[in-house]
Amino acid sequence: MNADNPAADTLELARAALRTVIDPELGYNIVDLGLVYAIEQDAAGGVHVRMTTTTRGCPATDYLVQGAQQALQQLPGCTGIEVELTYDPPWSPERISPVARLHLGIDRASAW
Amino acid sequence: MLGVTLSRWTMSYFALALLALLLGELALTLGWGYPRPPLNAPDTLALVHLLALGWLSLLLAGALQQFVPVLVARPLAHPRWSLPTLLLLAGGTASLVAGFHALASGNPAGRFALAAALLGAGFGLLLWNLLHTLWRARPWALPARFVATGLFALALALLLGLDFLSVLSGAETGSWAVALLGRGVPLHVIAALGGWLSLTAAGVSYRLLAMFMLAPELERRGSRAAFALAASALLLAVIGGAVLVIAGHDPRVPLIAAALAGAPALALYLRDMRTLYRRRQRRVLELNARMSSAALVALALAAALMLPAWIGGDWQRWLPAIAYLLLFGWLGGLGLAQLYKIVAFLTWLETFGPRLGQGPTPRVQDLVDERRARGGFVLYFAAVALAAAMLLADRPIVFRIAALMQLLATLAIARELWRTRRLRHLAAPHRVPPPALLFVRGTSLSPPENRP
Repeated sequence: MNADNPAADTLELARAALRTVIDPELGYNIVDLGLVYAIEQDAAGGVHVRMTTTTRGCPATDYLVQGAQQALQQLPGCTGIEVELTYDPPWSPERISPVARLHLGIDRASAW
Repeated sequence: MLGVTLSRWTMSYFALALLALLLGELALTLGWGYPRPPLNAPDTLALVHLLALGWLSLLLAGALQQFVPVLVARPLAHPRWSLPTLLLLAGGTASLVAGFHALASGNPAGRFALAAALLGAGFGLLLWNLLHTLWRARPWALPARFVATGLFALALALLLGLDFLSVLSGAETGSWAVALLGRGVPLHVIAALGGWLSLTAAGVSYRLLAMFMLAPELERRGSRAAFALAASALLLAVIGGAVLVIAGHDPRVPLIAAALAGAPALALYLRDMRTLYRRRQRRVLELNARMSSAALVALALAAALMLPAWIGGDWQRWLPAIAYLLLFGWLGGLGLAQLYKIVAFLTWLETFGPRLGQGPTPRVQDLVDERRARGGFVLYFAAVALAAAMLLADRPIVFRIAALMQLLATLAIARELWRTRRLRHLAAPHRVPPPALLFVRGTSLSPPENRP
């Protein structure tokens, strides 16, 4: 536990919770795929997530957003959850973490 | 939200389309239709329409009702029209096939009139639904432009087809209508095969292959030129040709001009597809992407065979093999390869999408067994190549053996699709009740067991 900064603990827990949500096509969690752009906590304890999908209009979009909300509901001490979908900036494979890149066999993640 | 819901009846379209493909391959195996009777024989026409309408058009119609919303990131304009559209198209196709079959022996007028009414209504609903969805999302990216032009070509093919049926059923005896039937059949084939089916498949391939292989979406100068040339070829051939035929002239000049525009369009498209494969981020290709490349090879091969046919002027000899490669290798092969992915993807969304965030979920790839399916696909493409070669070599018996191989391969692929839909490949920890085989029970985001 981080006694000096409890918000940091909540954000880490939120990040861990979001790692349980996978992009079905790539089969890897949305955090390491770089689909989660930001996780923030407000003064009242609410958690705000900005996320995207690999492609605009993907039929999985609503499920991914709802999945992120459902994962965050298990967070202790969280007073509210807001998941915002954005395509600004659009996702590209360079956002994928090195671990996920290795797992997916992506040998050179470059911008599109 | 910006997401797109699942198309409720797309699986039913796919199932009926596969049934039509299997029936068509059975007919070829049994020697019903070409090459035993000639190309323009009633039974050959019945078989061609069973495949072009029953297999390829139903497949594409079902896929587009799911895919056009993905292209434009907006929901389908009229989702409730999906089932009536399917029933009208299936009934119309059955009437048309029965009408052609009766052409040699009896009076097909009633069946042709029914086919015209059902197909006109079915394709009319489909066109309005898809174009309305596209129209609300202008300006269009390149794949949507291909699809919109493919839909325009469908309207042209439909109008020509309705004209032919009105003459064949005796409802229309006007001179221009009869002239179109006499000289306009190639225009109908170009609008259907080259426009509706091929342009739409090309548009879908730009987006789906980029999506599934993690490749950049191409919209460079060459891609835009491919589209402009292909659309020009379509307009020249079908509209230019029809105007000349109605005026009592030979449509040869616009057809030659269309070929001159179409050849570089095809070359640019194939170059784009090669670029997609080369610039993909996923090094290990999934089965659908590997088999889609075989379909692209079939397209390139069919195009290459047009050259000796053109130079020698001997289309009678080359056309059956070219048409076979286009119908079964390019369109059918691409259709089966993408079907393999789409069925797994939609089944996953329906079954596990609502469970995201509630615990571990499998990947889409866990719903398939590529090792089992690979054999079916390899046999399918090998059979198509052999059948086309035997058409060229005029060896009807070996051709029918190849058709049998193709039928068995399609059965094996269909079985794998069924197993995917029934979650048969899924490991025990993820086992849940499978979704309904032929439709989506609801488009709610809640899991099936939580729904009222």
